Amino acid sequence: MAESRRASTAGHLPKQGGDTTPGPPPELPRQRRGTTPQMRGRYPDYDVLAEADHWDAVTRRMVLERIAEVPPVRFFSEPEARTLRAFCDVVTGQDLDPRIPVLEMVDAKLHAGRLDGFRHHDMPPDPETWREVAANLDRSACERGCEQGFAAAGSETQHEIVQRFSTGELDWTLPVSKAWGVVMRAALSAFYSHPWAWSEIGFGGPAYPRGYARLGAGQREVWEAPPEFSADPVADVHEQGLE
Amino acid sequence: MSERHSANGQEHVRTNGHPGESRGALAKERLRSALKGALRPPENDSAFLLHPHRRDVPGRERMRRYRTDEAVDMLIVGAGAGGCTLAQRLARRGWKVLVIEAGPFWNPDEDWVSDEAGSHPLYWTEERVIGGEDPVELGKNNSGRGVGGSMNHFAGFTPRFHRSDFEVRSRDGVAADWPIGYEHLRPHYERLERELPVAGEWWPWGDPHGYPHGPHPVAGGALRVWEGARLLGIEMRVGPVAIANGSFGNRPHCIYRGFCLQGCKVGAKASPLVSHIPDALAHGVEVRADCMVTRIETDEAGRCTGVTYFHDGRESFQAAEAVAVAGYSIETPRLLLHSTSRRFPGGLGNENDLVGRGIMVQGAPQVAGRFPQELRMYKAPPPEISSEHFYETDPARGFLRGFSIQTVSPLPIGWAEHVLADGHWGQALREYMRDYNHWYAIGCLSELLPRAENRVTLADATDRHGMPVARLDYTQCDNDRANIAYAKKTLHEIFAAAEAQDVLTIDRYAHLVGGCRMAERQEEGVVDSDHRVWGVPNLFVCDGSVMPTQSAANPALTIMALASRFAERLGQKRGVS
Repeated sequence: MAESRRASTAGHLPKQGGDTTPGPPPELPRQRRGTTPQMRGRYPDYDVLAEADHWDAVTRRMVLERIAEVPPVRFFSEPEARTLRAFCDVVTGQDLDPRIPVLEMVDAKLHAGRLDGFRHHDMPPDPETWREVAANLDRSACERGCEQGFAAAGSETQHEIVQRFSTGELDWTLPVSKAWGVVMRAALSAFYSHPWAWSEIGFGGPAYPRGYARLGAGQREVWEAPPEFSADPVADVHEQGLE
Repeated sequence: MSERHSANGQEHVRTNGHPGESRGALAKERLRSALKGALRPPENDSAFLLHPHRRDVPGRERMRRYRTDEAVDMLIVGAGAGGCTLAQRLARRGWKVLVIEAGPFWNPDEDWVSDEAGSHPLYWTEERVIGGEDPVELGKNNSGRGVGGSMNHFAGFTPRFHRSDFEVRSRDGVAADWPIGYEHLRPHYERLERELPVAGEWWPWGDPHGYPHGPHPVAGGALRVWEGARLLGIEMRVGPVAIANGSFGNRPHCIYRGFCLQGCKVGAKASPLVSHIPDALAHGVEVRADCMVTRIETDEAGRCTGVTYFHDGRESFQAAEAVAVAGYSIETPRLLLHSTSRRFPGGLGNENDLVGRGIMVQGAPQVAGRFPQELRMYKAPPPEISSEHFYETDPARGFLRGFSIQTVSPLPIGWAEHVLADGHWGQALREYMRDYNHWYAIGCLSELLPRAENRVTLADATDRHGMPVARLDYTQCDNDRANIAYAKKTLHEIFAAAEAQDVLTIDRYAHLVGGCRMAERQEEGVVDSDHRVWGVPNLFVCDGSVMPTQSAANPALTIMALASRFAERLGQKRGVS
């Protein structure tokens, strides 16, 4: 079976020869239950939010707030938000709706003045770093012939800039690798604090007061679902408007 | 080991150290460990004072309050592992104790969540500056805030230090010897292991010993790692973790939900909030939370008179007969350096420019391996099994000192940081994230050596109270790099032996100690072997910053043991009613 073959060979993983080009990975199932980012995921029949009644009230309130409404952009200017929204989409691989509103979640954190507890001596404070990254992304796009900025650049240009950003190979106005650390820490923390992402990766979510009873390899709680490694056999459901 | 401690000669030190020396001691140890949780810890009723169903610390509303002009016997700055243990011990000895803590007095039911991102209030997130060639990231990894300190979100591993950790200079010719030895801490280790309580298998390394609670069940991922280690001839053991296995007083048993690093809402994992604060309050300790101490005040005679602190933006002075600073390796040096006066122009205890120097972290690379089965590493506490197989110096490895190996099991945000560190973003990162349930992660704690250049200083930037923020500079030496590289190679070998299909690696640090080294002579340290700051007779430091070396063990238990011994050294104040 395709499912067990992929699970056991790990051939889908980027370092084992898996496809890493932008766009939906091959053989990734469509989500059938609940919501995941881009409505794809490894656990098509698992919705972590269906378990919310089992969470303690304080945690439930906090987690459900993350999906209740997208916070307004208050910290970033409109042009900064446009650039950084495109950047967050690229680094978190979000090419379709529904999207986890990473930029808005980061903006809310910066607006509230919440910091992470350290700053490199040769770096500005984190909020300033974000603004400088926005300006530098636009400048890098401009240097590549896209005067409208990073958000308007083609996917290939965006990926090339981000690739160089990730390896520190850009001539920017601030230490590039450290800036990468600052923005990625916040972006990933936002993305993977969102319950849609938990459903996508099959994470159990908040676990108090219920806890876990089945700890062995291959064991699942009754409410946990198995992963799936084969795509829907009907390839063109989306094109035919069958979803 | 011989008695090296000379002060007063009051301290009781057993000399039957090595296991081969005394079969009787070993037999006694085995009997003690066979009794498991049957013995109630002496002189600490915390677990029994807690409410069986609510996690709020009882007795807060009836807590003793001291006036600011009432000079308490001991004012403790910081309610973490060191400060809370000291407070509880001194209160039992009739001392009037006030603990001032910068963060909140947590109510786990209301304030803590079963969620990674939502747990940021547990960390010290205010500005700090980092530098050096190998800068150490602070914040969620190695800082704490609020009553209970960083033990509120520590994984839970509570190994003892080895004898060799106290004699690194004598044995290896580097770093420093401690002015005290393992035997001085052993009775405190034993007592604290019953108070926390610590669960684990019989421990064959260092000074062999058992634990008061039996080993926890081990999840599938850890079993794969264990098998890989076994094939390489590397011994591993379950624990030791400060997590009750079975109920303990009114503290519930562990429910294996995996959120140890987010604060244990269950109350099964120990932190001073549940293990020492309830008993401290019952014995008259006041814990004044949400108060940031900015200066230790001294008089013309060079004695400290109390502290200045801010609460809700308002400045106050609290009088005290003696002050013990327990703010950990960043905030303690910061406070001493900032407490300048005409008599102490460079800050307190800093005549020889030693305050803030010798800060240490542990090299803590983590490697994750991929397996065909679902391992779902979010289940069970991250601290499951560990090894001290590589703990001691082995010249064949090409570096001095060693490392330990422990399980870590990150939750999704931690896993994303792990994947990112291996160089993946975008679709590649998403694919590794979707594969989360097939992975398991282990990490090392490499002992890094103390260096004078690795230090805390005051930065130009100031906080909201106008106090300069701390700057931490850190650079590794060649021995450090060799240790970390060897440790990382070992982790890879374990996963190769376990037949992992793919591996991902992250370089990182763990734990902070040092900065106010304990030493026999003033020229070599900030405090003496009784934690007294050289040059200020009624000022003490009681936290991880006094450690002259780092060890390859997690520091929490040893910080508590140091505090427990320090309290014993201070002795009885007055009869307890």
